Amino acid sequence: MHDRSRAAIMTAAASTVAAVVLLALTSASASPPEYQAPRTADGRPDLNGIWQALGTAHWDIEGHAARPGPIVALGAVGAIPPGLGIVEGGGIPYQPWALEKKKKNFENWLTLDPVVKCYLPGVPRTTYMPFPFQIVQTAEHILIAYEFASASRVIYMNRPDFESPIDTWMGHSRGHWEGETLVVDVTSQVPDTWFDSSGNFHSEALHVVERYTPMSPDALLYEAVIEDPKVFTRPWKIKMPLYRRLEENAQLLEFKCVEFVEELMYGRFRKKPGKEQGGQ
Amino acid sequence: MGHRFLSAVSVAAAVAAVVSLLPAPVLGQAATAAPAAWTPPRTSWGHPDLQGIWTNETITPFERPDELQGKTVLTAEEAARLEQKTAQQRAAGDGSSPAGSVGAYNQFWMDSGTRVVSTRQSSLVVDPSDGKVPVRPEAKAKRDDNRARVTDSYEYMNLWDRCITRGVPGSMFPTAYNNAYQILQTPGYVVILYEMIHDTRIIPLDGRPHVDPKIRLWMGDSRGRWEGDTLVIDTTNFSDKARIKGIFNSEALRVVERFTLIGADTIGYEVTIDDPEAYARPWKVAMPLNRNQDYQMFEYACHEGNKAVGLILRGARAQEKAAEEAAKKPATGSKIP
Repeated sequence: MHDRSRAAIMTAAASTVAAVVLLALTSASASPPEYQAPRTADGRPDLNGIWQALGTAHWDIEGHAARPGPIVALGAVGAIPPGLGIVEGGGIPYQPWALEKKKKNFENWLTLDPVVKCYLPGVPRTTYMPFPFQIVQTAEHILIAYEFASASRVIYMNRPDFESPIDTWMGHSRGHWEGETLVVDVTSQVPDTWFDSSGNFHSEALHVVERYTPMSPDALLYEAVIEDPKVFTRPWKIKMPLYRRLEENAQLLEFKCVEFVEELMYGRFRKKPGKEQGGQ
Repeated sequence: MGHRFLSAVSVAAAVAAVVSLLPAPVLGQAATAAPAAWTPPRTSWGHPDLQGIWTNETITPFERPDELQGKTVLTAEEAARLEQKTAQQRAAGDGSSPAGSVGAYNQFWMDSGTRVVSTRQSSLVVDPSDGKVPVRPEAKAKRDDNRARVTDSYEYMNLWDRCITRGVPGSMFPTAYNNAYQILQTPGYVVILYEMIHDTRIIPLDGRPHVDPKIRLWMGDSRGRWEGDTLVIDTTNFSDKARIKGIFNSEALRVVERFTLIGADTIGYEVTIDDPEAYARPWKVAMPLNRNQDYQMFEYACHEGNKAVGLILRGARAQEKAAEEAAKKPATGSKIP
């Protein structure tokens, strides 16, 4: 605490400056201060709804110019659109060996990207896949169901001691409320998922802390602090808005992509030639 | 695919064998309706509260075995005997694989129940009255044709082996393991999470119409409503690629499911399946779902670990190649002209 005599010296002008600086910091901080979301029956901010990220983070979470896509026949439709990036404070702080691996992943992404094979995307990538997801919020469990690959996860609320006995593709999610913000601690993810289609990767030591904060009736601020001491030199953060799908008939449909990758994964082993009548 | 397929077959065979030993006195029809006096707990917005984790593993067969023709419900003694015999047969069969099998799961991996359903009904199919699914011959033929080609291509394999989905209502039919479901409710939705192949159904209750008929879905398009204390889910817009227990359905398939809390820890589940192209008449399955709050649902990352589909096809191609090469070589001892 300030010493009384020192406090006494402070002028009214200094107090005013301090107040202004404090206000500026608050405004610049992660949480938008003013907006209060509608409440659920149990008095929490109501995050129920169908949401979707906009942008190109699924291609590359770092800033990137447009670049050609891998399939010549797709032309402009298959080219990779540009993006400002969602990583705060510049690039991803890879350890030197990991940066080399990231570059190799990037060069061979079509072969190596797990999402190309319709594998579950993991957290946080599942959030900014170019597909909608639905939040179903109850007091004890918050389900997030994603259209891509029928992925889903249940966030266990207020059970900080509930550890997962195994690692999984979508991880183990434990949540709690900090004022207007849903904070989700995500652990126990397998090392096989990526952050995007540009080869950004992690190890089994990945620890993600997500924050979902309502910004307005139709937008959430999504922030995730990513920590993995085996791959990065320090924790780093991504940040992006999530938008409510406002169509009055909005609903998740199916993107059960396994059927779209079977020829890619097993086609060389099936009887040739071609698909015969009658089968599916 | 071999493990999922073989295990289900062997369990079904064991159950059928045991059931055949039982006498068949006729008792009353299975009941999944709530006792009149009981009222279910409600959510804060007034709907019956179905939330929780439910399981339905059981040794009761899906269809009624021929030996139990005319018998809809087992006596308590018959049920106990079936349970005992099943346990004995499993113990005896553990560790042995059918000839030519590369091996299947032993009992350690199974979680298919040790008990008959609490209603003691003799089959999960309750309508038609013979307890058999009224499959049209053409639909059976198509299923059998697919099974015969199963090593030709992934497209002939079943949807579960391909890790696509167990479908609707197939996802609710008990099987060898992972027979768990979590129900969540909000004022506008009921959600059913199926542990097997991580399927999720988010069912709107707001009376909105079904999606455009051009949209065809593996699990259909579900709409829910409350009829008294019963949740009724009406599902349409099925793809004709979808199947129920291996039987291809048509786009005309309509599935109506009814969920009724009939006690603090029991949901009476009934489903009516109507598809005039695949079935001679609508048919119905009924079974209890049992609350199981201690059950920990895990992620069933099926496709991510699916080596079987590729290896089965690869093995079949290797066998074909070996057979071709053997055919080219002159048989030992034969005369060369």
